[in-house]
Amino acid sequence: MALQCRFGGTTIQSLKMATFPISSSSSRFIFRTLPKTLNLALFSRHTPPKAPPFSVLIRALSAQAVAAAPAAEISDKQVVKPQWKAAVDFKWIRDNKEAVAANIKNRNSNANLNLVLELYDKMVNLQKEVERLRGERNNVANKMKGKLEPSERQKLVEEGKNLKEALTTLEEDLLNLRDELQLEAQCIPNMTHPDVPIGGEDSSKLRNMVGSPLSFDFPVKDHLQIGKELDLFDFDAAAEVSGSKFYYLKNEAVMLEMALVNWTLTEVRKKGFTPLTTPEIVRSSVVEKCGFQPRGENTQVYSVEDSDQCLIGTAEIPVGGIHMDSIVSESSLPIKYVAFSHCFRTEAGAAGTATRGLYRVHQFSKVEMFILCKPEESDMYHEELIKIEEDLFSSLGLHFKTLDMATGDLGAPAYRKFDVEAWMPGLERYGEISSASNCTDYQSRRLGIRYRPSETPSTTSKKGKTNQAATKFVHTLNATACAVPRMLVCLLENFQQEDGSVIIPEPLRPFMGGIEAIYPKSR
Amino acid sequence: MALQCRLSGTTIQSLKMATIPISSSSSRFIFRTLPKTLNLALFSRHTPPKAPPFSVLIRALSAQAVAAAPAAQISDNKVVKPQWKAAIDFKWIRDNKEEVAVNIKNRNSNANLELVLELYDKMLNLQKEVEGLRGERNNVANKMKGKLEPSERQKLVEEGKNLKEALMTLEEDLINLRDELQLEAQCIPNMTHPDVPIGGEDSSKLRNMVGSPRKLDFPVKDHLQIGKELDLIDFDAAAEVSGSKFYYLRNEAVLLEMALINWTLAEVMKRGFTPLITPEVVRSSVVEKCGFQPRGENTQVYSIEDSDQCLIGTAEIPVGGIHMDSIVAESSLPIKYVAFSHCFRTEAGAAGTATRGLYRVHQFSKVEMFILCKQEESDKYHEELIKIEEDLFSSLGLHYKTLDMATGDLGAPAYRKFDVEAWMPGLERYGEISSASNCTDYQSRRLGIRYRPSESPSTTSKKGKTNQAATKFVHTLNATACAVPRMLVCLLENFQQEDGSVIIPDPLRPFMGGIEAIYPKSR
Repeated sequence: MALQCRFGGTTIQSLKMATFPISSSSSRFIFRTLPKTLNLALFSRHTPPKAPPFSVLIRALSAQAVAAAPAAEISDKQVVKPQWKAAVDFKWIRDNKEAVAANIKNRNSNANLNLVLELYDKMVNLQKEVERLRGERNNVANKMKGKLEPSERQKLVEEGKNLKEALTTLEEDLLNLRDELQLEAQCIPNMTHPDVPIGGEDSSKLRNMVGSPLSFDFPVKDHLQIGKELDLFDFDAAAEVSGSKFYYLKNEAVMLEMALVNWTLTEVRKKGFTPLTTPEIVRSSVVEKCGFQPRGENTQVYSVEDSDQCLIGTAEIPVGGIHMDSIVSESSLPIKYVAFSHCFRTEAGAAGTATRGLYRVHQFSKVEMFILCKPEESDMYHEELIKIEEDLFSSLGLHFKTLDMATGDLGAPAYRKFDVEAWMPGLERYGEISSASNCTDYQSRRLGIRYRPSETPSTTSKKGKTNQAATKFVHTLNATACAVPRMLVCLLENFQQEDGSVIIPEPLRPFMGGIEAIYPKSR
Repeated sequence: MALQCRLSGTTIQSLKMATIPISSSSSRFIFRTLPKTLNLALFSRHTPPKAPPFSVLIRALSAQAVAAAPAAQISDNKVVKPQWKAAIDFKWIRDNKEEVAVNIKNRNSNANLELVLELYDKMLNLQKEVEGLRGERNNVANKMKGKLEPSERQKLVEEGKNLKEALMTLEEDLINLRDELQLEAQCIPNMTHPDVPIGGEDSSKLRNMVGSPRKLDFPVKDHLQIGKELDLIDFDAAAEVSGSKFYYLRNEAVLLEMALINWTLAEVMKRGFTPLITPEVVRSSVVEKCGFQPRGENTQVYSIEDSDQCLIGTAEIPVGGIHMDSIVAESSLPIKYVAFSHCFRTEAGAAGTATRGLYRVHQFSKVEMFILCKQEESDKYHEELIKIEEDLFSSLGLHYKTLDMATGDLGAPAYRKFDVEAWMPGLERYGEISSASNCTDYQSRRLGIRYRPSESPSTTSKKGKTNQAATKFVHTLNATACAVPRMLVCLLENFQQEDGSVIIPDPLRPFMGGIEAIYPKSR
């Protein structure tokens, strides 16, 4: 469900509407969600700047000239107002533009770096211009405090009026320019871990391989046939009641789902993760801040009618949102969650891809791990997450391989992504059963989740006052612990027996009343 | 989540738009969902009727006169096309109108019986009129087969043309009249069990009382405070991420939810119920056929944007839909399901009602029982369902009472409803924790679920041919086995201890790793 900023080019500005919600009801969150650091950077320069003493008349004219160009340009492009703002580090992007450009290319992103840099330069210049004009206006105001000839006063009044008008225009242009810059810059994907292989999906690098394909000395069935013979699911009734790619689980499949969820929660909880169940309806803005696109032609996201809410496609979204717009204490890091939720995906545009049976469906249960940590620790926790996944799948006796996914296969938020692909003998191929991503500060810059590093003695200034350390953005990581339908595919297809039964892996048995196998019903 | 046809008065026809989905995409299901018996009743009379030999001219005129009145009336009323049709027994309603009228009054329904009867009479008359005209047209056609004088033939051609025109108008009127009749009649609530007390909620009759309020000799906390102290529930983060009345469950509350679901499923399965996990996104038509209203001002139903789909408010909907438009084998009855799903409700208009904490929320987990059975057995299975509920709640050690709900408290589909209300010491009142309804054939007439009674020897006709018995509508029943948040309220509030811990009831412990109590975390 990862995304890129597909409509981010400069030539198709009108399409950009589709990538941002127009909902007026979410506008009340604009200011709440503006991270404070960004506020400081953008709005804190109201102190009178020390401008060189130019002629006021010339300044006013030149200011209007400067204002004219962007104003025209902006109105042509019909800038869309961002509903929220990521704390994008524009200066860093400018200072590292070669690296950013290479990264955009490697990841097949269509983010427009040149436009971002151009808009940023324009914005910086316009900002300086605005500051200088403010200075001029203050100078004029100060001069008028003294005793003046009426003609002199009249001249200053005129000057002040001109300055005010010029400033109003410029300030409006600056707001529009900032909005445009923000939208463009938010299309830039996360940077990439240096070890990630560059290229398309085929370039992904094998990290680990566990077990080998089970050999069968009888004709192998796929999970659909097994499910039909054992009366475990019903796609036909669901097609009538809900639509295609919905399903009912029946009989032992229900117990198997419950066992998978329970066993996974129990195992991951043992490793120090806090269990959660989450809301499955969330505000669209939270979906966006996690790096997904709730609107647009090929969105994976179901929206709720007459509201600014969506159904979640993964628990990563509501879990990412828990600490939104807050500063967590350094001592609480890492925060580790393991969340159970149902997930809903439109699977728009998925026709033709591997869609047989339970492999790709509109609704499914999933247990998801999520970690918030200090930046220097995210690589370590990424390794921990993939290790937990591998341990879980090994305990169930699956044969699988772990891949370091290539740049072309990374969604915008991921700095690095490890996928686990398990052998599915009925489908006769490896299929993705889980994914672990390090999103570094991509999501936290959007969700506004920061921490304040602990104060070290060296930060005490000479006057004996303790300087509070600046806040930093946390890093976020997410990883699938158990995507139920794909696990069902694996379990049914790998553990089928010649007599038509399916053996339940040992670890799950205590969670389903001690059942050791699913046998054909006598009818 | 029960409903009445609230907008069904004759004076506010335009409002009726709101109660029927306008979605064009569901129109393709009209014919599929038309129960076959209804088709027969409405459309099977194309054989030439034996009309008395009236003058053709007079017939044609009178026909047009008859046609004129309903046509004008219909265009005034703007009849909305039903997207699907319940198999309503209009004749039975007419033959039992006093009883139906009393029932509508007792249940505070605003169904308009007078209008239904009037429309039905009109419809019958118009139908006869149409049949008469068809006979005349056939007569004319037959006459023209013989040898005729040209003037005679010309006269017959004229006659035939007049008849055809009159017939077309009348047939269109008939369709509109049937639609209007259908919509009005679908507002009539189910009949009521003779033992149901008549009156408002206060008239509900106590059926059973188990246990007594637990005596707590320390200051009692409500579940919100307990949840906060034990770090079990987070409403604040959910309000930011999703909206008010959403929540995260945390720590042991997650395990408790899992245990409740698992234990309930296991217990109910032991009693011969087939476990299910259901789709939570369904077509609006299925929601309507179960007797809920997915559209309109105060709808409880979340709709999916740009689709004809909704989120379910209860698993009763997808389970009711499983056998939609089918004839089940008599030998398969009763069919007993126990379904786990998440449920989603807008709770529009619920402001001001008991809404503290987990008592009324937008999303929750629920285990629901559902039975399809023969008509003569539904009372028996209603008793079985309430017995299972009582057994479950008793095993958990709750104090509760069971009520036979009064007519004024019944939703349109229910013939009889038993509610269980448990003592909640923190909220200091009894609160509804479950409900068991016998819907007799109200839902099956909408969902089109029938069975064919087994052939008895006496139905063999003289010619030795076996007459297949006519199909009958099954009866449906539904009952809550476990609505998780309300159970959490009960468990936390009833089993709180002076030291701040909460004891886990014995039956649930094996399903949560043997945990015996939830203790305050040391922080």
